Amino acid sequence: MSVLAPILALLLLAWCVAVLDAWMTTGRFRPLAPLTATLALVAGESLVPRKPDRLFFETAPILLLLAAVLAAAALPIAPHLVITDLATSALFVNAALAYVLVALLMAGWGPDGAYAMIGGWRFLGQTIAYSMLIVMPITAVAMRAQSLLTTDIVRSQAGLWNVLYQPLGFALFFVAAMAVSFLPPFDLPTASGELAGGVEAEYTGARRAIFRLGRTILIVSLATATTVFYLGGWLGPWLPPWLWSALKTLAVAAAMLAAGHAVPRLREAHLLAWAWKAGIPLAMLNIFLVGVLLLVIP
Amino acid sequence: MLARDLHAVTVPGPDVFSALGLDPGAVGVTYAATPRHAQVLVLAGPLPPELREAAAVAYAQMPRPRVILALGTQEFSPLPDPDVTGPASHDGLAQGLRRVRELLSRHAFSPEARAFEPAVLATRTEYTCPMHPEVVQDEPGTCPKCGMELVAREASGSSDETHHHTISHKDASAHDDHAQHEHRDDHGGHAENRTAEGATSYTCPMHPEIVQDEPGRCPECGMFLVPADSDEGAGSDTGHAPSHAHHQADSHPHDHDPDAGEVHEHGAGMDFMSMVEVTKDLPRGRDGLPMDRIDVPFGPLFPGLPGGLLLTLTLAGDVVARASARTLTGPRSALPEPGMPAARFIEHLASLDPLTPTAYRLLARRALEAASGSTPSAHQQRARLAAAERERAASHLGGLAQLARQVGLPWLERRATRFQLTLIHGDHDALALLARQSVALRTRLERTPLLAARLMHVGALSPADGLRGPVARAAGMTTDARTHDPAYAELGFEPVLHQGGDALTRLHVRLEEITRSLRLAEAAGTLTMPADFDTHAAIGDAIGDAIGDAIGDGQAVVETPRGEACLQVYLDGGLVTRARLDTPSAGHLTLLPELLTDLELGDALVAAGSLDISPWEASVS
Amino acid sequence: MSALQLAFVTFFGLAAVWFALVVFRTSSMMRSALALLFSQTALGALFLALQAEFLGVLQIMMMATEMSIMAIFMVMFMMDPGGLGQMDMTHQKRLSIVAGVVAAAVVAVVAVLTPWGAPATSIPNPSEQLQGLGRELLGRSMLVFETAGITILTAMVAATAVAMPALQRRRER
Repeated sequence: MSVLAPILALLLLAWCVAVLDAWMTTGRFRPLAPLTATLALVAGESLVPRKPDRLFFETAPILLLLAAVLAAAALPIAPHLVITDLATSALFVNAALAYVLVALLMAGWGPDGAYAMIGGWRFLGQTIAYSMLIVMPITAVAMRAQSLLTTDIVRSQAGLWNVLYQPLGFALFFVAAMAVSFLPPFDLPTASGELAGGVEAEYTGARRAIFRLGRTILIVSLATATTVFYLGGWLGPWLPPWLWSALKTLAVAAAMLAAGHAVPRLREAHLLAWAWKAGIPLAMLNIFLVGVLLLVIP
Repeated sequence: MLARDLHAVTVPGPDVFSALGLDPGAVGVTYAATPRHAQVLVLAGPLPPELREAAAVAYAQMPRPRVILALGTQEFSPLPDPDVTGPASHDGLAQGLRRVRELLSRHAFSPEARAFEPAVLATRTEYTCPMHPEVVQDEPGTCPKCGMELVAREASGSSDETHHHTISHKDASAHDDHAQHEHRDDHGGHAENRTAEGATSYTCPMHPEIVQDEPGRCPECGMFLVPADSDEGAGSDTGHAPSHAHHQADSHPHDHDPDAGEVHEHGAGMDFMSMVEVTKDLPRGRDGLPMDRIDVPFGPLFPGLPGGLLLTLTLAGDVVARASARTLTGPRSALPEPGMPAARFIEHLASLDPLTPTAYRLLARRALEAASGSTPSAHQQRARLAAAERERAASHLGGLAQLARQVGLPWLERRATRFQLTLIHGDHDALALLARQSVALRTRLERTPLLAARLMHVGALSPADGLRGPVARAAGMTTDARTHDPAYAELGFEPVLHQGGDALTRLHVRLEEITRSLRLAEAAGTLTMPADFDTHAAIGDAIGDAIGDAIGDGQAVVETPRGEACLQVYLDGGLVTRARLDTPSAGHLTLLPELLTDLELGDALVAAGSLDISPWEASVS
Repeated sequence: MSALQLAFVTFFGLAAVWFALVVFRTSSMMRSALALLFSQTALGALFLALQAEFLGVLQIMMMATEMSIMAIFMVMFMMDPGGLGQMDMTHQKRLSIVAGVVAAAVVAVVAVLTPWGAPATSIPNPSEQLQGLGRELLGRSMLVFETAGITILTAMVAATAVAMPALQRRRER
């Protein structure tokens, strides 16, 4: 029971995010779309490229799904609705997210195709850009909570949500979260205009269904992480805690999906330059400011 | 089965589809990023043979269930016969797609499904020597030059050097590189050739631990053994340019040292080759890094590039080391058979480029009038102006949609495509509204964050002879054939000029031209009916009367949306005997290889797209 | 140590060794790099099984990115990254075997002969470990860690700075 409920909640949120994504892309609201799409994929043919690295080709979607689920496992939806409650949960989320990179590298190398390979290596470049930006705001959040336990982090926001306490950290984490889940404008690995689908291009059938499921759960995990770290998790009046969590998570996911439609894909050189020359100093500034606030405000 | 979104691979591509007035988005079909994610292959209009081959390759990559929908296409080989056919109109598309959905849901897995194996995808095994890649045989054996056993590798069935596949041939190139690399790697082996002094012993260049007293073959690899104190052994007569030079450079210490006995006396550098030395002569890219290179084809059915354009980029990492471009839109001729009647000639020229038929119809008409000495009336001239300007705006909007596909701006793609289709299907009253909307679009684009950063300094071209059209005007060249046209001067026409010559400037030029063209078309005020009907009425279908039995030659120049096109015709008794056509895209195509070198991949694709090349025009001989 | 814990420790230890062997047995550069990655992940999981939570999570997190960066360098510069050719990629076989055996012997001797002290009967829970670690990092070991951190940062900046004039020189050539 204690593990099943969070997993079901995760799947339900993933369903909602998939419907949202389809609505934003095509303009049609179809609540049953994830089910029909998955059935269509699983019932269709599953093609394998001619000379793949079979091990990587098969493992990549599963690893992506696993990484996303593990990241979500350490995040609480309600005070006792969390799969694992490690003392280093906030760091564990980041550790799980690092395997998204490994999964995409495998997906790039596996099919023995140039588009996939370039997409995979580009994602590595993207990782070098976002990896600092996603960890340093977590540091500032943990400083306020004086603990790495995600439940403690939520409880520390009872007075004031972190989005207001550390808005700079929120902005950086939000952008870095979009980059982790390779959402546009950070969709360098799966660019349709430049790489004809990139890492996702060679997957068909059931493997593609797993890949897409993994990607959707990744978006949900990152939205949940943003909610837990910055938007007060389950805190809020009147409604039950899990509903607050779900609403906030969906709002963040919608914002992530929508933000990319207005901006063209970033050039990799620009992404790296801005992340390192602007992003990291700002993240350090954020840590400094939070430190000052913590010392000054009793 | 429940209704769902269909993904379609479109041949020739979204640009031609929009130009023909087909809107898959309106009937719930999206353009697929890759054939593997598509369920339906849609063909529109007559397709040249190479494009059909490309479509066959795409079809072979689609997972089942898959359906072919042909709109107005007659010839299909090597594709199988289509499952659904229809006319090349939006209604035809809508009805066809309805039938496609029925097919997919009811007959998803037909019992008599056969594997689709077109000849173009057939591969055969050939055998090559790792040390001598030029030695290629069809059966296993040994290399005549060095005696090594030949290694199997896959090659495409067709013997052309250009592959029509949309998947890369990483295997083939990996083998080539492997052959070179293997050669380089046995430096350590070479250095240990000298073992005993005095006696002649024989050793294998690749396996230095094999030492024999008499000549023969190496038991490990089958190569002929070489004398232990010889220079390079069998490896010296190879055609590996970089590694060969390296060989020679490195072997000098061996030569000049008469006491070369034990290899260890030469110091630690001999039997361990550092990566710096091994890669000393490798070609280096813009970053200064010697990286492995792969040849990747982009096109002809690539989302974000014009349909029918095949860019083969040699990538070192994600930087383009070399580029070559070619068109797959088949040999097109301005005059397929001499002695064509004038009316048919005009229609033939209009069919040359499905993206801008009106401009070429106009060009043919003008050339014929110049040859026969007739002049059109003022009313006709204004009608032609309106039709041409309307098409210019539509063409630039198509270019905007392509940029949006490349760069990842879905709202721009939707908006530009909708504009283009409204323009094609709409009437005169729509023009005023569209002019205002184009200004709004331009403002919104200028306010799009990061778009300028994305396009700035990409694909910069300085003024040169080969540039025409918006590409030239963006570079500051004042070339516009419309400045010499009195009908345009009457309406106060001025060409759009900018400085800069990069992709961003070209975008601005095209945006400005859209607004001006729409205003010109509206001011001409003669058209009251949708565009495709208008062009016939505007240009005048009574060409036969105007020309009669004229004899002469004439030349005409028209500013097509992509630049100046020039046509020379020779008339003899009302029949066209000779014609020569010069199109802007042909010149722009030759600029691509140099333009794309040393650009990052995304920038290279944006640069190629910003030239707005029409492969149909470019393949006119 | 409970039996379950012992089982996990053994399993992850053996997995780490097995992946490390795969690193050298495969000729594909990519598989080699990712096998090393998973070997380090197994080590991180081993730390988790030994209830060193922060260390385990840190190991898992850092090694993923680090080994991936190693993978791209291997693919960029090594010949035949796919391992499809029948090339022998080993150099200096005798020297490396000797060096490997000697190093293993030294490590084994150190592991066996060092007086580690008696095994602890109780360990602080992970939260207390974290707090203790924090106090240690900012207390007694502050000098060590800060110096190490600044040194690494300096090395990164210096490497980038060194590369750039070389680029300019090459362009001028």
